[in-house]
Amino acid sequence: MTSPWYPPSRPRPVDNGLKARRARGAIATTWWSQRFVEVLEDIGVGSRLQRGRRYARQGQVLSLEVDAGSVTARVQGSRARPYRVRIGISAFGKREWANLEQVLAADAWYGARLLAGEMPEDIEDVFAAGGLALFPDSTSELSMDCSCPDWEVPCKHIAAVFYLLAEAFDHDPFLILAWRGRDREVLLANLQAARSPGRPAADQADRAGPPLADCLGSYFAVQAEIPSTRPAPASPAAVLDALTPLEITVRGRPLTDLLRPAYQALGVPVATAAIAPTNRWPGDSPG
Amino acid sequence: MFVLHGFWCLRRGLCLWAEDSERPVKSPSQALRVARPHPFAAPAEVLAEIQAGKPDAAVLQLPSLRTAPLDSPELIRINLRPPARTAPALLAWAVPIVTLDAASALVVLSPRDDVRCGASLGHLGQVAAFARDLVVRGRVVPVVEQIGHGGVAYWRPVLSGRDVMVVHALIRSMPPVCRAVPGHDDPDELTRAALDALVDAAVREALPPGLQLAPLRRGRRPGVLPAVEAWLGALVGPEPRFDADPGDLGALVRALEPWDEARATQSGPARALFRLTEPGTQANEGGDTLWHLEFLLQAADDPSLMVPAAQAWDDDGSLGRWLPRPQELLLAELGRASLIYPELTPGLRQARPTGLALDAEGVHQFLTVAAPALDDAGFGVLVPSWWDRRRQLGLTVSAHTPVDGVVDRPSRFGRDQLVEFRWQLAVGDDTLTEEEIVALSATKAPLVRLRGQWVAIDPEQLRRGLAFLQREPTGAITAAELLALAAAHPDDLDTPLPVLEVQADGWLGDLLSGSPLSLSPVTVPDGFEATLRPYQQRGLSWLALLSSLGRGACLADDMGLGKTVQLLALEAVQRSDEPDAGPTLLLCPMSLVGNWQREAARFAPGLRVYAHHGPQRRRGAKLRKEIGRNDLVVTTYATATRDIDELAEHEWRRVVLDEAQAIKNALSRSAKAVGRLRAGQRVALTGTPVENRLAELWSIMNFLNPGLLGSSELFRTRYSIPVERHGLTEPAQRLRAITRPYVLRRMKTDPAIIDDLPEKIEIKQYCQLTVEQASLYQSVVDDMMDRIENTEGIERRGNVLAAMTKLKQVCNHPAQLLHDRSPVGRRSGKVIRLEEILEEILAVGDRVLCFTQFTAFAELLLPHLAARFGTDVAYLHGGTPKTRRDEMVARFQAGDGASIFLLSLKAGGTGLNLTAANHVIHLDRWWNPAVENQATDRAFRIGQTRSVQVHKFVCTGTLEERIDDLIEDKRALADLVVADGEGWLTELSTSDLRDIFALSQGAIGD
Repeated sequence: MTSPWYPPSRPRPVDNGLKARRARGAIATTWWSQRFVEVLEDIGVGSRLQRGRRYARQGQVLSLEVDAGSVTARVQGSRARPYRVRIGISAFGKREWANLEQVLAADAWYGARLLAGEMPEDIEDVFAAGGLALFPDSTSELSMDCSCPDWEVPCKHIAAVFYLLAEAFDHDPFLILAWRGRDREVLLANLQAARSPGRPAADQADRAGPPLADCLGSYFAVQAEIPSTRPAPASPAAVLDALTPLEITVRGRPLTDLLRPAYQALGVPVATAAIAPTNRWPGDSPG
Repeated sequence: MFVLHGFWCLRRGLCLWAEDSERPVKSPSQALRVARPHPFAAPAEVLAEIQAGKPDAAVLQLPSLRTAPLDSPELIRINLRPPARTAPALLAWAVPIVTLDAASALVVLSPRDDVRCGASLGHLGQVAAFARDLVVRGRVVPVVEQIGHGGVAYWRPVLSGRDVMVVHALIRSMPPVCRAVPGHDDPDELTRAALDALVDAAVREALPPGLQLAPLRRGRRPGVLPAVEAWLGALVGPEPRFDADPGDLGALVRALEPWDEARATQSGPARALFRLTEPGTQANEGGDTLWHLEFLLQAADDPSLMVPAAQAWDDDGSLGRWLPRPQELLLAELGRASLIYPELTPGLRQARPTGLALDAEGVHQFLTVAAPALDDAGFGVLVPSWWDRRRQLGLTVSAHTPVDGVVDRPSRFGRDQLVEFRWQLAVGDDTLTEEEIVALSATKAPLVRLRGQWVAIDPEQLRRGLAFLQREPTGAITAAELLALAAAHPDDLDTPLPVLEVQADGWLGDLLSGSPLSLSPVTVPDGFEATLRPYQQRGLSWLALLSSLGRGACLADDMGLGKTVQLLALEAVQRSDEPDAGPTLLLCPMSLVGNWQREAARFAPGLRVYAHHGPQRRRGAKLRKEIGRNDLVVTTYATATRDIDELAEHEWRRVVLDEAQAIKNALSRSAKAVGRLRAGQRVALTGTPVENRLAELWSIMNFLNPGLLGSSELFRTRYSIPVERHGLTEPAQRLRAITRPYVLRRMKTDPAIIDDLPEKIEIKQYCQLTVEQASLYQSVVDDMMDRIENTEGIERRGNVLAAMTKLKQVCNHPAQLLHDRSPVGRRSGKVIRLEEILEEILAVGDRVLCFTQFTAFAELLLPHLAARFGTDVAYLHGGTPKTRRDEMVARFQAGDGASIFLLSLKAGGTGLNLTAANHVIHLDRWWNPAVENQATDRAFRIGQTRSVQVHKFVCTGTLEERIDDLIEDKRALADLVVADGEGWLTELSTSDLRDIFALSQGAIGD
């Protein structure tokens, strides 16, 4: 029964909201994003977290922005005007970051893992050595507010933002550092400067071919040799196996299972092509 | 002639246009501001005949003089354009085109021999072949796009590692004419668009029809399918567009985004490369040798560009020219690699990592586990070269042949005779000594130096190998079993270690090594009229040996070395040893039936030969009777395929395939048909080097020795793909070892052969008329004989000469008599035979002069041969200016340019030095042998180092054969009458002329 004192809590549908990619199970999948979700889930306000998760999956969150010290988001609730959500954390200062960067630059492992999309397992040690903590221990280290009428914190809107934030961390661990005060571009530039001071960046090479007017002498001819291709992987479904599993299903069967017969058919040559003679083309080198 | 060109259009797909050498060169218009019609582009209706498609038009920028575009290098003109006096410039020309969608493009972009193709089509063909390659390897991902209210389902390539480099190479190699449409000149964009479209088409082509990806739905189908189901349907159907609810579709697009990213992030300007180097000779102090795994960056578009990590750390900006942010890229690559190869981590824990030190254990783990995984993930891996052709631990078999070299009596070593052998342990080619085995057993390291080279030894394997040797050190099997053991693929044997080599002494050793030098000669029976040259004698012994073992043999001697005479000798020996042996069935192209009959009659007159072909051939009981009373039944592939049910009833002594490349496609009807023939032995004769064309080799071997190379599927995965697509040498070597006992190939250039060969070999090429030629021939005879009978004097003389000319023209090609510019096609037995011979000549890289009396015939052949063989053809006739003529001769002699040189007998008969050719073909006969000999001497003169083969074409049963007989007779008497040309013929009586002109039996093929 809905109480007459409260407005109806059904949110307005959103067309192009941010949606959690994982439709069921835990939203955060990496250890570093789980560290955040745990902080939230430790408070143990079960039903609001559930509703928050549903919000996240339905795409009620309209925007999400991570800056030094704060995450701001707009969440579509039951009212016409979206609610504003802010989750604050203390950003580290210039000097603290300068020290951290010295340590990170001295060990290429950190940059390598971060650039490969992984939070280095021992990164907390680096922060701990400077007396800092990368991850918050409890919600008390976070400031959370929402413009909705619900007085309880965290409300479902904050929870929804939290889940989407965790998912963003999954995808890009640099975001955690950005929240703590160092965005990716600045961090990488500073690390590079610490490694090899005073090197300029350069432009990307020009990709268009040479002007046609310079090619009149060999206008109809092949311009370079083509190397032979690499050995085939054992299974034609290797690409399929390497793809991120998606939550798309048809009648309970996941998409990758449905696509598998197609991939398997690709590895089987068409009957007539089975032992077709080697191709010969004008311009091929003989033999 | 036509030259077909192509380019890719972002909107229209594959666009084709053609140049036509028969059209006027110059444009009548002088306008330079607008795109004038290309003067010698094939017009729409002509183009439509070359290639069906949607007609359209395009403007192309082409290198041009003021009044005309330049020719593409593939275009051959009979009347040459005058040399340009001004420098060419880019001008716009309008050309008719046909356009094809991606699915048709994929089919069209395969090599074709009906029309000559420009390099632009070759390039697009490479893109199509690459698209197919990606698809077979499953390097594709399905994507969805929202267009308007509906969705479109595509398959897109997933490019990583070396594939990225192939794409870059394709982009760089694009001929400029592919980007000649103004505003569409970005090779990157055009190549990727073509690749995307062709990959999508190749997936749809590869998927079996009727494939359903979505699980079956119970109950009624809703009006609008859920977007994902509609998308799955559109991924496998012919129509990529589908309808879906926009919201539902939008959700699908977003849900699939992660896959889109997976596709996008895999190609970069460079990748990490891991290079393993051996420890230097100076071992470090502990005596413990450390290997070095070096980190580098390798450019995607230029694999030879490799930058050590240290240079990336110290970059002063110079790397930035090809690589934005090299440090970041290196770090990201190393981070990604460390996820696959966790042992990399210690090497990264420093400010500027450049490499990693590995001990023997670590090296072994890297080589066996990490390197393939890194390679699969798109990283570059460079390991010491010995690793790729590493010598593995295995077993060898040494057999002792019981009866040495006596081949005279095949019954003395039947296929059931036992051969004793001994197992031994070996590494690569080195059989291990006792001491080495002890030393290897004692060492713990997985990598050890053996005889100065590194080898990887798995202790467990070594233990199993030793246990096996103790259990069964020796054995005895039949010769056939030993040959089968030598031919077995390691995967198909149950030995504990792979069998690396099978050695034997004596004749078995000769067979296994493929050089039958010590086989004792087989005695040729009396009545065999040819004296075999020494190498032919060896070939006969080899054939007889395999025959006695019941194994198939492929005699692949170069053309002109006498495969026919060797086979006839084998038959003669067989008949004299076993008079009761059943008949041999010989299949050959129609053009060679007459040849076999004549050669058999000449060399082995004792052989009873029956030619089974033509509409009047025997059937049923009559055929059985005919087979029963002959030794050699000669038939054509086409006839054998038609009559296979009857022919397969017999148990033949031997089945012989002449020009065995006729069954190179194992799926063809004739290949399947010959597979049904039962025989005591099977023999294939071919002049093309089959060992270089794997599909052909499989098909022929599968006929000769069924099962020897496994199923075609297995062969494809074990040999064709690794060798032809990836250029691996190890499987190629194994294949050569397996087939070696069954293939005997001698080349004219072999030192063992060359001394046996005469300097000049004359071969008559007997060919038969097609039905069309025969009826034309007959009507010319009827018409001309009428006229000759009713005229006298000079007029009669003129008619006789005209009749001869017309009949020779018919023998060449119907179109030459009719002057109707009708297509060459397969209307002339002579041209068909010419193509067969040229194929063999070109396959071994030889050069050839072709003489004809008729410029019309040369001009008919010129475009046909250029298209058929995709090559330039030089042409010299009376009207060729001197400078041009000298230039052609110089290029031909220098070995570049055309391999086929067409010459008119009159223009090319004297004063030229063309010793680069070692084949001379006389396409039509001249009454005067001196003229022919003069022409032949172009190739056969000072400077010629090889033996020259002279092929004289003769249409059997026609005027040509009678001229040939006359020349032979006259030469035997003395070169009397014919010395002054053809005049003497006009003096013959009408009835003599009737005899000379008449079409006799056997002239017509089927």
